[in-house]
Amino acid sequence: MQVQQVKERSKAFVNLFRQHKGMNMELKTFKGGLHPPDNKRWSEKKAIEVCPVAEGDELVIHLSQHIGAPAEACVQKGDKVLKGQVIGTPKGFVSVPIHASTSGEVIAVEPRLDTAGNKTMAVVIKADGKDEWDPNLSGADPDKLMPQELKDRILAAGIVGMGGATFPTHVKLSPPEGKKIDYLILNGVECEPYLTADDRLMQEKPEEVVEGILILKRILGVEKAVIGIEANKPTAIETMQKACEGKGIEVCPLQLKYPQGAEKQLIYAVTGREVPSGGLPMDCGCVVQNVGTAAAVNAAVRRGIPLIERIATVSGSAVAEPKNLLIKIGQPISKLVEFCGGVKGELGKIIQGGPMMGMAAVSMDVPVTRGTSGILLFSEGEVIRAPEGPCVRCGNCVRACPAFIMPTEIAFQMRRGKVDEAEKLNVMDCIECGSCTYICPAQIPLLQFFRQAKSAIRANIAKRKKV
Amino acid sequence: MIAAVISLGGIGFLAAVILGFAAKKFAVEVDPREAEIAGNLPGANCGACGYAGCGGYAKAVVAGNAPPNLCTPGGAGAVAMIARVMGVEATAAEPTVAVICCQGDNTRAQDKYKYVGVHDCRTAQALAGGPKACPSGCLGLGTCVAACAFGALSISPEGLAVVDREKCVGCKKCTTVCPRNVIKMAPKSATVQVLCNSHDKGAVIKSYCQVGCIGCQICKKTAEDVYAVDNFLASVKNESYDQEKAVAGMLKCPAKCIHDLAAADTPQEEKTEEKAQ
Amino acid sequence: MTEMFIILVSTILVNNFVLAQFLGLCPFMGVSKKLDTAIGMGAAVTFVMAVAAMVTWVIQYFVLAKFGIEYLQTIAFILVIAFLVQLVEMIIQKTSPVLYQALGIFLPLITTNCAVLGLAVLNVQKGHSFLQSILFAIGAALGFTLAMVLMAGIREKVDVGPVPKCFQGLPIAFITAGLMSLAFMGFAGLIK
Repeated sequence: MQVQQVKERSKAFVNLFRQHKGMNMELKTFKGGLHPPDNKRWSEKKAIEVCPVAEGDELVIHLSQHIGAPAEACVQKGDKVLKGQVIGTPKGFVSVPIHASTSGEVIAVEPRLDTAGNKTMAVVIKADGKDEWDPNLSGADPDKLMPQELKDRILAAGIVGMGGATFPTHVKLSPPEGKKIDYLILNGVECEPYLTADDRLMQEKPEEVVEGILILKRILGVEKAVIGIEANKPTAIETMQKACEGKGIEVCPLQLKYPQGAEKQLIYAVTGREVPSGGLPMDCGCVVQNVGTAAAVNAAVRRGIPLIERIATVSGSAVAEPKNLLIKIGQPISKLVEFCGGVKGELGKIIQGGPMMGMAAVSMDVPVTRGTSGILLFSEGEVIRAPEGPCVRCGNCVRACPAFIMPTEIAFQMRRGKVDEAEKLNVMDCIECGSCTYICPAQIPLLQFFRQAKSAIRANIAKRKKV
Repeated sequence: MIAAVISLGGIGFLAAVILGFAAKKFAVEVDPREAEIAGNLPGANCGACGYAGCGGYAKAVVAGNAPPNLCTPGGAGAVAMIARVMGVEATAAEPTVAVICCQGDNTRAQDKYKYVGVHDCRTAQALAGGPKACPSGCLGLGTCVAACAFGALSISPEGLAVVDREKCVGCKKCTTVCPRNVIKMAPKSATVQVLCNSHDKGAVIKSYCQVGCIGCQICKKTAEDVYAVDNFLASVKNESYDQEKAVAGMLKCPAKCIHDLAAADTPQEEKTEEKAQ
Repeated sequence: MTEMFIILVSTILVNNFVLAQFLGLCPFMGVSKKLDTAIGMGAAVTFVMAVAAMVTWVIQYFVLAKFGIEYLQTIAFILVIAFLVQLVEMIIQKTSPVLYQALGIFLPLITTNCAVLGLAVLNVQKGHSFLQSILFAIGAALGFTLAMVLMAGIREKVDVGPVPKCFQGLPIAFITAGLMSLAFMGFAGLIK
């Protein structure tokens, strides 16, 4: 297995080298980054299947599945809920409501283990197997609604960024006064290895995505909309191109490189604009939305369906049969894996999300959330647990960094606990893509140092504000 | 000869006059008390007093913004010195030492996952709440050791932080960096302490740790004024500490999580010696 | 003009006071831990050197030479330099307490700094004119500052690097200084 890793790594190096030599020049991309073996072949040909919820299944729906303030539970133990019914109301502007994913009985409202390993408030629903829709949900014709009404519908449906960051969509669609937005960029890049959920979505439901984009365009009042798709999804590119014809939406194939799906990198790749350090995409007139979000927006506006299910890839070397699934929010990981034929061989690591930026889950019992783009199971031998070596200053991390900071220098400073020096080296610009850690031949946990630095700096800033 | 004396003397005299003039013109007002206090403080800049370094504390004392007994590393000596300089009376604060409220080392407490990465408790804590199954036990990655300016902390071979009660000056630096608040401050004389930090219920604790406090209340029943039990975790009431009663409660503890730290030194040393042999 | 330029280049690079002539090593090792203090120290030395060069030149030619007491050169120069440094110290303490704090005990060190004394003596030995001695002083001080800044930059980097325990602190600084000196040897022969 070790030999295999070395081979794959050297392949990545060769790819990097080629990119720097200027081959592959015809496609747009950003500066920096790398291309890890994408391993999408395992699931890219598999059509989306529905992962069923049987009677008696427990769904654990966390009240904080988004960035911002957690929602507040508005149901109690013993309540009967219907599919799509609101079970958590938003607290504040940067927050979204939470809905029941299926019909059944609320058996508990208590802190439950989430993917991050913390116990956070959750509503536990015991499914009655009927999967009965809330009759109050109704759709509308988006052309007859004002942008604000559309936004209200998006908020009511609890829609968040589906790429994994889970930032409330209605906030992203409400740029502050004076910020002119002229570009809507759709993220169909899916640069994370293994994941094929967005790929399948674009192939199977292109019209949903396109309709969603048209609604988003209406809300923002922009002319230009571009879908960025990496070149390793030729079918998706073709399908989307066909679906977008005459709709004023452009499809932009992009060179294979990670982390192309990161907001700032995608903006640069598509428009050539650079988001200023410490700024937001709106600072350069762009709004980026995931294609999954666009499809969810369409469902929310036209049919009134809240965000209670999503598409996720279950893949990895320890999964018997990798698949793309339509999952219900709150299903435990174990259920998904069971549906995919169970665990193959010895399980080494469970990751929720992609292998580069995803989060390792502590157990199979944690539920999936609105941000779960994939569940990856890796076998024992594949998980690298080698001790870190000394930095040889090869500079691979600096070359790979898409945010143009110097990972090695910051790690050196953080080893000595010099947070201020790390701040001077612009560690706050780190997008936590993990490219540096991936490419590091000494296996130094660089990203962990940055996270440490960032949380320390944030604490310092908060302290300074207090004083 | 005369030329040499006169010319050099002249240069010297001229220099002296200019310097004397400059000393008046560029005089900087310095409160001599501030310099004296700063000079006599330990100079470790540990921050235990809550000010930025010894200089900052000296400044605050002279300005009348700080009481004279905040310097724990300096102990009674520093208090007396400040009191003498400032001309006030002061009583020394009771010296405190850090206590690691956990006994769950690698042999006695279980991990929930294997941690590989930056050797720092704070980073480990950020990953799914730390590798230890116990939500509040010592992680043993040595963040406190790095923070201690006095070399009073170390990590035992079994992966648990250990305090050298002689070296500890009670600056509280370690308590601020510990992400799990395992380190508590206790008066040096209160040697009997509850070495557990988990509020989990007995059955839960038993599932991951052999030496956790199960909140059985036996110590409290034995010595009401020394022990308190809050949310399934016993603690020693330091303000009404009584050695005899504390020991009585310690002997009754079924979970063996109350220890006399003054006495505990001996068996631990024996243990390491045994290992060495 | 060419001659002036040559004096500057030769004192900054070829005959760098610290790295080629090994003068003023005490502040070089002591104050080069941080870039900020190194620059401050360089500025202080530059100022003292320029003033010292002027004053000692005047003393040499208008006092010592006139009365034929050149044998008192060392004493007279030390006296004057010490006076100057005291004056600078007082002014800095009043005008920039931060710089004063940073330079700490190293300011009085300039009092008996061999670089400053060496400069005054060299000026006399080489028979420099008044203008030449000032240029020589400025060049020497810039060379000193350059060495300090380079050293401080390197030491800031070395400080965070994985230095073996036995080399940490001063030992690695001495090794660094040695290597820097070797590098500056490369300038030898640039100017005769």
